[in-house]
Amino acid sequence: MNIRVQPTPRFTEAFLLVLVFLTAVLGFVLLAIGMQVRQGENPWSGLLSALLPPLVIGVSTMSLHILMRNRGMRVEQLILPVAALLFTTGLLMIWRLQGPSGVWQQLLRGYLPGMAVIAVLIVRPRWVERIRRWAIPICLVGLLLLVTTAFLGMIDETGARLALKLGSLPAIQPSEIIKLSLVIFLAWYIDREGKEAEGRARPFLGWLRLPPIHYFLPGALFTALATLALVKMSDFGAVLILAFIFAGMLFSGFETRIFLTISAIGLTLILIVSLILSFTWEVPTVIRYRFLAFQNPWSKEVIMLKGQTTGVTVSEGPGYQIQQSIDAIVSGGLSGAGLGFGTPQYVPLAQSDFIFAAIIEELGSIIGVAVLILFAILLLRIARVALLLPSEQVFERLLVIGICIHFFVQVFIMVGGTLNVLPVTGVTIPFLSQGGMALLVNLTEIGLVLSLSQRVEVQAG
Amino acid sequence: MELINLNTVLFAGKWLLIGLVYLILIIIVITVRREMAYRTRGQERPVTVAAGRLKVINAGSDTRIQPGKFLPLKPETRLGAETDNDLILSDQYISKHHARLHWDGAVWWVEDLGSSNGTTVDGHICRPRNPQPIKGGASLQLGDMVFELMV
Repeated sequence: MNIRVQPTPRFTEAFLLVLVFLTAVLGFVLLAIGMQVRQGENPWSGLLSALLPPLVIGVSTMSLHILMRNRGMRVEQLILPVAALLFTTGLLMIWRLQGPSGVWQQLLRGYLPGMAVIAVLIVRPRWVERIRRWAIPICLVGLLLLVTTAFLGMIDETGARLALKLGSLPAIQPSEIIKLSLVIFLAWYIDREGKEAEGRARPFLGWLRLPPIHYFLPGALFTALATLALVKMSDFGAVLILAFIFAGMLFSGFETRIFLTISAIGLTLILIVSLILSFTWEVPTVIRYRFLAFQNPWSKEVIMLKGQTTGVTVSEGPGYQIQQSIDAIVSGGLSGAGLGFGTPQYVPLAQSDFIFAAIIEELGSIIGVAVLILFAILLLRIARVALLLPSEQVFERLLVIGICIHFFVQVFIMVGGTLNVLPVTGVTIPFLSQGGMALLVNLTEIGLVLSLSQRVEVQAG
Repeated sequence: MELINLNTVLFAGKWLLIGLVYLILIIIVITVRREMAYRTRGQERPVTVAAGRLKVINAGSDTRIQPGKFLPLKPETRLGAETDNDLILSDQYISKHHARLHWDGAVWWVEDLGSSNGTTVDGHICRPRNPQPIKGGASLQLGDMVFELMV
């Protein structure tokens, strides 16, 4: 075997990172000029402070690049630049909507800690092994945080408890952590029991096969507990994501026949439960009116709350956000209004849930399409790492696949919601949306993928 | 006049930004395509899967390997002086088939293949033909050569 382990040049990555840095500089300069012009002030006065965020992005991504180069990592040169470009696009919109304070909060609470986590995971690949060994405690802590939040969390303006504040520390959002916890838990459990469960599978209704049912109890219990806590928090977007992750990981972890059996049983159970619920349990108003707003955002139906009319119609309530989002996307057109010249501030929550509409309004659908392509490339590259990993490393492969599923679901749900193709559920878009905790978790996932990609070596020569 | 100039600058900047983003996309697509082309033409440089690597601490009399270098490990790596090994070591105290390293998905195992000068893990001598687990960070000595296992 040819022995050649030196710092490997990662030309593609370096070149792309330089381009991303240039894009960031250009974007922030245009934005600063545009915002000053809009306010009728000297266009060149705000330039210097606008150059700082691109500098932070450039320096941090470049140091990660040099770190990976010196460790001789040969594979996966695309994930880091793609993630950096997506983050830059989101940050531009956050600067536009929230000003410098929002950007610095995002950088300091989400981005920089996240980059530090990536660096640690790359330098210490053994930590992935440690995560596997400590899977149960990690997941229990995640679950505990979630349950605590459901009962003791801070109540925000809509009456939902989403954030947990411990002393003087910044508030954390356990609903973000629980998604990664579920991925870790399922990967660990399928790795441990999956083979045995498949071996003990018995024929069930002819062609289908079913392992003894007790193999599914831990996973189902974990998901059910998390779901209950999230329903208590009325965070239905997260429930949807957990369900997708659960189904997706069962699909990748088990033989198709077994997966089909389980999903058939699961669907039957859900059908029975929802039939019972439809007679006894009133659908929470949040879900019902969001669905109405999805069917017709301009509906004049009056919202009823606890049997009393509130005097607000659907088009003024939940429909308003969708109307504004559609309006923003239409007014953006092909190449957008130009940075600083649109009116994305009229879309409620444009900096977090509806950031995709803001991007299209100011940068045009041409960049909107580019963002979707970037997400597609990111997902494909993550899936590629999972496929290249040796087949006996089940935990690692499932972990990477689970991360891929997580990203996919969040992008799918939220882009669909923004374009009114799906009912709106309040989740963030990975890397784009404002939200330190979500960004930190997403960057941790990227770190896990990059760390595991070190086990795949393309031999030169 | 001043305003027209500024508008031109902003217009040019907008399209330059779009151009940059699409340049990045094109480079990414070209990279992906090139990797796929290797695969379909069967010219893929062999993808060997390394679950860990050996850091060279002391290379003994082997002049081809310098201390501080990393040697990638396959999940099943055979070390020795003969050319049919996965890692060929040419120190004078290395036997033809010296030792075998094996990754079972969670733990590395080392097995001495009956070498003349023995294999030690953290100073403990391995009995020949008796695989024993070896932790990441442990030092592995074959003849004169000393390695550190990096997981």
